[in-house]
Amino acid sequence: MSPVSPGLYLASAGSYPRIGDTPELQLLRRTIAALDRGERTTADLLDAENEVTRWAIADQVKAGLDIVTDGLIRWNDPISHIAGKLDNVRIGGLLRYLDTNFYFRQPILAAKPIRRGMIVLNDYNFARNALGHLPTLPEKAGKLSVKPVLTGPYTLAKFSLAAASGNGEPGPFAALEARTQAYAEALAPEIASLAKAGAEIIQLDEPAAIKYPDDWPIFVASLAPLVAARDAAAKDSTRAVELALYTYFHDATPLYEKLVQLPVDIFGLDFTYNKQLADLAAAVGSPKPLALGMIDARNTALADPDVIAWQLERILPKIAGGRAYLGPSAGLEYLPRDRAFAKLEHLAKVRALVQSGSRVRP
Amino acid sequence: MSREKLEALGVKLPLFPTTSVGSFPKPDYLVKARSEFAKGKISEEEIRKLERKATAFWIEQQEKLGVDVLVDGEMYRGDMIAYFAERLPGFTQGGLVRSYGNRYYHKPIITGEVQWPGPVTVEWWTYSQGLTKKPVKGMLTGAYTIMDWSFNEFYPGRRATALGLAAVIRSEVEALIAVGCKIIQIDEPALSVRPEELPIAIEAMEATTNGLDAYFITHACYGAFDQIYPGMLDLAVDNFDLEMSNSDLGLLELFRCHPFTKDISFGVVDVHTHNLEEAAEVQGRIEQVLTLLPRERVWVDPDCGLKTRTVDEAIAKMKLCVAAAKQARRKK
Repeated sequence: MSPVSPGLYLASAGSYPRIGDTPELQLLRRTIAALDRGERTTADLLDAENEVTRWAIADQVKAGLDIVTDGLIRWNDPISHIAGKLDNVRIGGLLRYLDTNFYFRQPILAAKPIRRGMIVLNDYNFARNALGHLPTLPEKAGKLSVKPVLTGPYTLAKFSLAAASGNGEPGPFAALEARTQAYAEALAPEIASLAKAGAEIIQLDEPAAIKYPDDWPIFVASLAPLVAARDAAAKDSTRAVELALYTYFHDATPLYEKLVQLPVDIFGLDFTYNKQLADLAAAVGSPKPLALGMIDARNTALADPDVIAWQLERILPKIAGGRAYLGPSAGLEYLPRDRAFAKLEHLAKVRALVQSGSRVRP
Repeated sequence: MSREKLEALGVKLPLFPTTSVGSFPKPDYLVKARSEFAKGKISEEEIRKLERKATAFWIEQQEKLGVDVLVDGEMYRGDMIAYFAERLPGFTQGGLVRSYGNRYYHKPIITGEVQWPGPVTVEWWTYSQGLTKKPVKGMLTGAYTIMDWSFNEFYPGRRATALGLAAVIRSEVEALIAVGCKIIQIDEPALSVRPEELPIAIEAMEATTNGLDAYFITHACYGAFDQIYPGMLDLAVDNFDLEMSNSDLGLLELFRCHPFTKDISFGVVDVHTHNLEEAAEVQGRIEQVLTLLPRERVWVDPDCGLKTRTVDEAIAKMKLCVAAAKQARRKK
């Protein structure tokens, strides 16, 4: 893939709203409600998910993104959607997801989680196909790509419980370290499958890693099986396969210099949580490409594009690898749909400012 | 202690006062009417009449059950943020965002300076209090939670937003006190979402209640209390209404490490299950808290609002609370 704007790609950070305010945009909600009432089938649900996924991809393409996701339209939440597809995992009650007003269902491990089937591979294949059917501008033809997203093993484990063993004693996965490693081993084959299917960048979301720094060694250890899967996939392929580690929902500044040394290929960071992160990145740079989450995915306000362009101009020369990915600070489903699309358009506006050198402030 | 404060306010309560967190389920006729009102099929006058009818129903139920401090049941509210956002100048209704699964809500957007337009909840409190001789709580949402659960396009930051909202909520508190409300609950369920911002929540609550003559309760639930305790005890309220049962009384471990210094409204029944606890189980929970707190400081209520239960389930859960409190009073 060659960039439309050399060195600076526009990339989604994951989710996209699956509802809007018009009746048409409530297709998925209505279908799920009708399914619950027994008035629709699971085939109807699949149709609705497919349609809403197409809309999410179309919005990203229309706004000018180079790397899109399927919007995670099929995900009930970032935890149970992944864990619930593994054997030996039961899905329990609701818990708040980090500092959001969004809730997830908590997985409970009865035994070692095992990957028996695909986790997001089908979703990735569908999204690639959907992207291929969208009309694109001539200069972008063949240059757009889909990025699959997985929640990482540490975040999955941090928000999971372990069932007690039969005699009431703590089970083998009561320890966070054991749960994390077990999830990592379950996710590794999915990395291999995604790479084999054509994914060049695989996004690994680990928001809990920066929220709970005391668990850093456990988090770092969990990357080993995933990195090994990436390396094996790359060896078998003529294409590059890269792991993009994304963190958000907390301040990454205190861990920045440790993060960028991890054995993954791209680091996705939320630059809106603490303004000092941009100063730090501009000062010390990065040995690998960064995904720069500079558009606030948690608030409807649109930041001054000149200010973002200025930050980019400071950071870009310090990033090794000759490329960076500008995107929202997190998935966009925490915003209303019209505002989410406005954020995507804002990305293109900022890139145009950087490319043209027409920034006037600050 | 706060019991003396209540007596000074003229409120006499038994040991282990019973109350509820705020919301009760809306009767079917009201659910249907709200849907019709949203579609413009019935008038505002008609919906208000039905909301009053449902409020009177819940006041009567609480009286029958023997609850000590009543609530109006929030028959007129959709949710705890939108209700205020729809009435306070400075807010604009935002588009739909997901809360979980297939549930969505309109998240408000602060687009200008938030202002107090005059009393928002006073009419409902006055109506409810007029139906009973027992005290009815004034029910508000706290500034920090309104800030955290809204988008902000106006204020320069989260602290400025919280403090701007605190001034507005304070005006509503003053209006409730002016009409005779003695016990005011200011809900802060977002209290623990960003532990590093606890000082902002404390500052906002101080700005809301400081120097005002009422007994203040705050409700918080389903949060990372281990990360904000004991700092949260600096919140300027008399009573913490806490979800305890859903988390298997896990908070008591924190109380063992650092004494809990306020009154507590102790959640003795889980509101997120259809199952009705056994009476002995509920009484056991009260006995647990009494190993750490004196009986004079313990109130008894459900974990959280009961609006997600059926009417029958909500009544049954409240009945359990009242029975457990009576049993506790009998024990020496």
